[in-house]
Amino acid sequence: MTTLRSFAAAALAALTALAPLALLGGCDSGPKPPAGVLGDPQRGKLAVTQYACHSCHVIPGVTGSDVAVGRPLEDIGKRRFIAGGLLNNQPNLMHWIRDPQSVYANSAMPNLGVTENDARDISAYLLTLD
Amino acid sequence: MLSARTRLILNTAVLTLLAAAGVGAAVGFTVFRAGWYNIGATSPHFKYVYRGLEQAMRYSVRHHAQDVKVPALGQAAILRGAAVYRDNCAQCHGGPGVSPEGHGLSMQPAPGPLVDASAKWKARELYWITRHGVKMSGMPAWEFRLSDADIWSTVAFINQMPAMSARDYRALTAGMALTLAPPTGAPAAPGGKSQ
Repeated sequence: MTTLRSFAAAALAALTALAPLALLGGCDSGPKPPAGVLGDPQRGKLAVTQYACHSCHVIPGVTGSDVAVGRPLEDIGKRRFIAGGLLNNQPNLMHWIRDPQSVYANSAMPNLGVTENDARDISAYLLTLD
Repeated sequence: MLSARTRLILNTAVLTLLAAAGVGAAVGFTVFRAGWYNIGATSPHFKYVYRGLEQAMRYSVRHHAQDVKVPALGQAAILRGAAVYRDNCAQCHGGPGVSPEGHGLSMQPAPGPLVDASAKWKARELYWITRHGVKMSGMPAWEFRLSDADIWSTVAFINQMPAMSARDYRALTAGMALTLAPPTGAPAAPGGKSQ
């Protein structure tokens, strides 16, 4: 009887200890990009993986390896310049994402054939990162 | 003979562990059988699952490649490797200034660039990965597709990539059209442990 009771107590204690873990899997509606930024950042976060951006860049919120082939993008939302000399705003970011060679002819970042719509969503996601 | 108190403690501990294992197994089986895990490649891996699998791959490759002997690889191998790479690897891995094709971009895990591969892997490990492939990653084995010499040529080329600009890459891969020698096949070649 005593065994049973202490067993029940132990089981209860274990469940109580585990309960907060269930909360960790909760919802993630994501941060909002700055005012004036167009596109859907949540779709952009998915699009990032479908153009394999994360295979060269470390991108917060996107699971991938520790890579340093491209520059880490952890604070791209608050940088003043991108790609060396372009002012960091959404049209420039989209332009750079879609056609790096038009900015630097010899850029090692390839043209990945990103559509305008996808570039808008990708840039919307990246601009949430600060 | 154990005291009543010690027996009580032991019984409680054993029953608690058994119950926890039982609940864990039931939860695991339910998730498995109900199909709740999203196998789609648009749903990312859990970060720690990804990290764990990646690290396991690293250890496995290191272990299995340890007896591979690296041949001398000269300029001819690099040039040959450039063409082999262009025809067989760039579709998924791309190159400096060159995008992978669509299927390579949308795979999960992403095949990723190889411009940094020689910083992460020794030559014998690159050879082993190319020859044997990597299970469940999309990386195929090339043992029955490329000759041993061509696999080594590819490794020689990959080892040059860190210092390669987009222009260099274009120039090196613009060369010859390839006729592939038949693969040498499994048993004879010195490929390290195959298990």
